[in-house]
This record gives sequence, structure tokens and C-alpha cells, in this order.
Amino acid sequence: MMNVNRRTFFKSFLSAGAALAATGMAATPRQAEAASREQIRGVCLYVPSLGKAGDFVEMMNRNAPGSWTVHPLNGSLTDHYFTTRTLYEEARGNANTFVGVVDPATFAIVHEAIVDCGGCFHYITYEDRNRVTFSAQLSEEV
Amino acid sequence: MSSFIALPKGVTEEAFAKAIREYRELLGEDRVRTDSASLQSYLKIMIPETEELHKPSAAMYPRTVKEIQAIVAIANKYKTPLWTVSTGKNMGYGSAAPATRGQIVLDLKTMKKIVHVDEELGYCLVEPGVTYYDLQQYFRKHKMNLWVDVPAPSAMASPVGNTADRGVGYTPYGEHFLVSCGMEVVLANGDVVRTGTGGVQNSTSWQSYKWGYGPYVDGIFTQSNYGIITKLGVWLLKGPPPGGYMPFLMKFPKVEMLADIVKTFMPLRLAQIIPNACVVVNAGWEAAGYFTYDKNGRGTNRSTFFKGKGSLPPKVFQEIMDKYKVGAWNFYAALYGSPEQVALNWKYVSGAFKAKFGKNVEIFTEKEAKDDPIFEYRKQLMMGGSTLQEFGLYNWRGGGGSMWFAPVAAARPSECDKQMRIATEILNKHGFDYVSEFIVGWREMHHIIDLLYDRTQPDEMHKAYRCFDELLKVFTRNGYGTYRTNTAFMEKAANTYGPEMRKIHRALKQALDPNNILAPGKSGINLDIPL
Repeated sequence: MMNVNRRTFFKSFLSAGAALAATGMAATPRQAEAASREQIRGVCLYVPSLGKAGDFVEMMNRNAPGSWTVHPLNGSLTDHYFTTRTLYEEARGNANTFVGVVDPATFAIVHEAIVDCGGCFHYITYEDRNRVTFSAQLSEEV
Repeated sequence: MSSFIALPKGVTEEAFAKAIREYRELLGEDRVRTDSASLQSYLKIMIPETEELHKPSAAMYPRTVKEIQAIVAIANKYKTPLWTVSTGKNMGYGSAAPATRGQIVLDLKTMKKIVHVDEELGYCLVEPGVTYYDLQQYFRKHKMNLWVDVPAPSAMASPVGNTADRGVGYTPYGEHFLVSCGMEVVLANGDVVRTGTGGVQNSTSWQSYKWGYGPYVDGIFTQSNYGIITKLGVWLLKGPPPGGYMPFLMKFPKVEMLADIVKTFMPLRLAQIIPNACVVVNAGWEAAGYFTYDKNGRGTNRSTFFKGKGSLPPKVFQEIMDKYKVGAWNFYAALYGSPEQVALNWKYVSGAFKAKFGKNVEIFTEKEAKDDPIFEYRKQLMMGGSTLQEFGLYNWRGGGGSMWFAPVAAARPSECDKQMRIATEILNKHGFDYVSEFIVGWREMHHIIDLLYDRTQPDEMHKAYRCFDELLKVFTRNGYGTYRTNTAFMEKAANTYGPEMRKIHRALKQALDPNNILAPGKSGINLDIPL
């Protein structure tokens, strides 16, 4: 069960992520208005400490309705790199939103995995020293 | 208002726009990016400075040497500086962000050819975008029994980038520049030079003989901005036969034992009984690797043990050591050869440590370590495998701040002990922990200290900067040079090597790149800044 703060956090996080993905805005502060939510085909990565898969799906559908898949990043940090690469590649053409809620070590790796696939970011935010949220643009490799 | 997120120093918006048009005519729209989303990837810095100081103006993705030659011609025409990265994984040293604002990132990740792998003599020739992991996959695919020495971010990093920054790894080929052989370099005037024997027409020994004829020049293209390396030869190890690789760990309970540890292994290292770039890891670094989540999803890190301000008190460090069963020092090394050689050498190694430390050393081979993740990570590094476990350090304190302070110590017991004490005192004074490893080279130690801090807290940013600054000053005063540094401290680190060396660096820059278009500021070399 998520606490209230976490619900608020996900609400703002997902609304912003969805809106940015839909509008193609770049690195804008996370205050964009929700737009075309029904078009969202989203992928969300998370480290399991931040919630259960069911919670993520429920929260995302409530705040940014669409078709969401969530992927826990399990295993070693090395696994996280290759898993992220695979998921990002798969998301190209199949999704329009690629977001994540991760810890700093995982973020350091996920960031590089996305960059190495030719991706870039709408935003990256340290919510606190132990939690990072991001939204990546699903761009084609150069 | 500018239509670019940053401009190079001294270049007008109009001139920059013209340059970008010409770059796009050469590479196409998609391979010349000026939008902020594309450039944000280069701003994930971990140093205690604002992103504004390191904001690039554009990023370009060439695929061929010819394209790079054409790029430097345009760069000279419009004086647009180029900050070259291979895969941009210079973690702890500035990542992929330029040393100064407004440079164009010349990202070579799109040059991904493994030009040649020679199994018979054990070498390869690769382009800058090839990663260590790519090479490992190549060996696997072609069933080659070859190992490449890797740095810690192995899967993502590139042999060209790491060697160009004089990085190190953990096998017997741990000194990367030493085991490089032959470069292809594009100079600022567009010339393409092949070093070593590469200039001989139809050379057949470019990757097997390093020195060529006349002055040896490869060194001036490392930690420098005199050219753009587009190909590099790298020597590879032959994998030992089954049973011929034996990683091991020795744990020691007291910080004060460092000098005796060094005294015990250095004779074995010099005799090549321990042939690899082995490591002595402190409790902080080792414990950070064991970051886990409890059943409630809470991360176990530094704050689990200590909620107070300032550095960890010794009592808490002891608590952490007990919890994770790590030593105050943890010595990882490996033996290589035939199974018989390994068995014999193990008698020398284990015998020497048992004789010196008795019950004060705990010895672990693969058998005792079982599936310990940190042992597995070290085992992988010492056999040139792919692991990213080291990134666990970033969860230890959180907040995304990290700088590697990297002084070199002569591999004498007293020197290592002195460096450890000086570093601990300065770090603790500023409220940070001593988190370190010594990587043992041929006759020196790369003393890698990860200054971990919270980038989300402005006061910690300031403290981290001041702490690094003091480390640099005090180590210099004590006669210790740093082997590598991050983009925030390149100018200061260069100064520690004296005015004569700086004049040489500058003279070379003036001769090879008079328009200062190649990575100004790299290693403190920048014609815009007077000496």
C-alpha cells in the first residue's frame, strides 16, 4: 500500500511525463498540462523498493490513462543495463512514453543504457537523494 | 534570445548558425543536434559545479574519418571548439560534458567498427565507439579464447576512450596505455597520422610493435587535445587453460594494517607471482557494493547506520564492517597460468600472508566465497568480464555526486599509509567519508578515492568542491601527483606539475592546433587562458 506522499508524487510525475511525451517538449519543468492522455502507450521502469507492479499500473492509469506496462528492474546492476537497453529498443515504435522511478545507482546505469540506444531525456529529477525520476524521449538511433 | 542553448566562447550567434548549417550539409540534420533534449544527455555531470558551466552548444555524430576531417575544417573556419568523446563514460572524471561551456560534443559512438582481431598474436584494432562488451561478444561469437582488460564500467566503456584517458583495469594487462599499440589520429589541420609502424605503407606490424622509428608520439594524444583518435590497437590476453585462473580475497580487520599488507604483497607482485593489477579496497567502498533493499523496500545504505551530520564515526564504520562482514581492508588478486603453476603460486601467496598475519587474515577463494556478489564482481574484473556492480557506490550516500580523487603513490608501505591518513583527515574534516581502493600497478598504486556527496544540496556541493581542492593542494605539497582528474579541476591539476610542463603542453597545442578548436580545457590545455 502506498502512502499519501507517494501517491502525490506519482500523480505529478506521471501527468508530467505523459504530457511531455505527447507534446514532444524538451527538458521542461514538470508542470505541463495533461494532453491526449488516451494516446499514451507507456513503459515504466522501477526498482521494486518503490512499489509493487499492481500499484504502478493502478496509479498510472488513474493519473495518465492509457496502455501502460511496468517493468521491475531485478537482478544485478549489470542486468539493469542490458534490460533497459532491451526495453528501450522494444519500446521504439510500440510506445510513446518511457519513464522510470529508480535509485541513484540504477539511474546512473539506466541513463547510459538509454543514451547508448540513441535516446535522450525530457527531464531528470532527483526527488530526494535516494530517488530519481525521468522521462526519456523515444527517438531513433543516430 | 538565442536559438541555441549555449554558444562557444567568442563565437557570435550568426557565425555559429552558419557553422551548424555547414555541419548539417556534411552530416545531415539528424547527426547534428542542437535541441536541448538531445544535449541533456551530456549534462549528467557528477562534479560539484552547475551544468551551465559545462553546457554544450551542439552534438555531432560522425561515422567516418573523412567526415571528421571535414568537421575539423569547418571548426577551424568558424572557431567552433569540439569536445570529443568515444562513448562518454568518463564517470567520476566529468562524464561526457565539455570542460567549458559552448563546445560541440563530437560523439564518436557512431564509429563502431571492430576493424580486426588477431587471435594468433592477441591484438585488435578498434574504432572509438566499440565497447569492451562489444569486443567480448566478438570473441564469443568467433570462439576466440581472448580476454581484454576492462575498467570498472566495462560493458559501456570504450577501449579507445579509456586508453586515451590513461585508465586502468585489473588483469595483468591493467595499464591500458602500456598495452595499446598503434593509433590513427586526425589532427586539427585535417591530416591523418598513424603512429608506431602505421606510417609504413602496407605495414604488417602496426599492432605488434609499438615504437616505430624516431620520437614516440602516442603519449601526446592521451589526456590531451592534440588530435582525435579514430583507431587504436589494443593487446589482448590469451585466456588460461581450465583451472588456470584463481581469484581470491583476503580480509584484514584493522585500518592500521595497510602498510603490512603492502609489504607482504609487493614482493609477490614484483616477482610476478601475483601478475595482475590487484586491488586493496577499504571498508567504505566494499560495503557500498552490498547495497540491498529490506523486506519493506527500504534501501540499506549509509543512512541506515548513521543519521547524524558529518563523516561516519569509527564506531559506525565498525558496525558496518560487522554487518556486511567486510574487512577494514580487502585485498583482491588472482593467479593465472597452468593449473599446476596456479597451485604452486597459491602456496607462496597464502603462505606469505598466513606467516605475516596469522589469525588476522581471512582468506576466500571461489569455494569459500560461494555466490557472494562482490567477490563475483571482482572475479569478473580480473578476467576481463563485464560487470557494472561498482555503480552501487552511488547509492551509498545518494544525491548523484561523485568525484574521483586519484593520486598516485609509490608502492611502498609508508607512502600508502601516509596517503590514507592524509585523505581520511581531509575528507572527514569536510564531512565526507574515506571511500577508496588502491589499484596496484607495476611499482605504484593508483589511489582512487570516491568523494561521494549529494548534488541536490547546495551546501554539500560547496563542501565537496572545497574538499577536493584541499585534497589536491595537500597531496601536491606532500609530493604526490594525481594521475587523472575531472573537468572541474583540470586547470588546477595541471598547475601542480609545474610551469615548465605547462609551457611544453602549450607549445604543442600552438603547433598542432593553433585555432584551439580541439577540446580546449582538456587537462588544462587551453590557448584562451594565459599561463
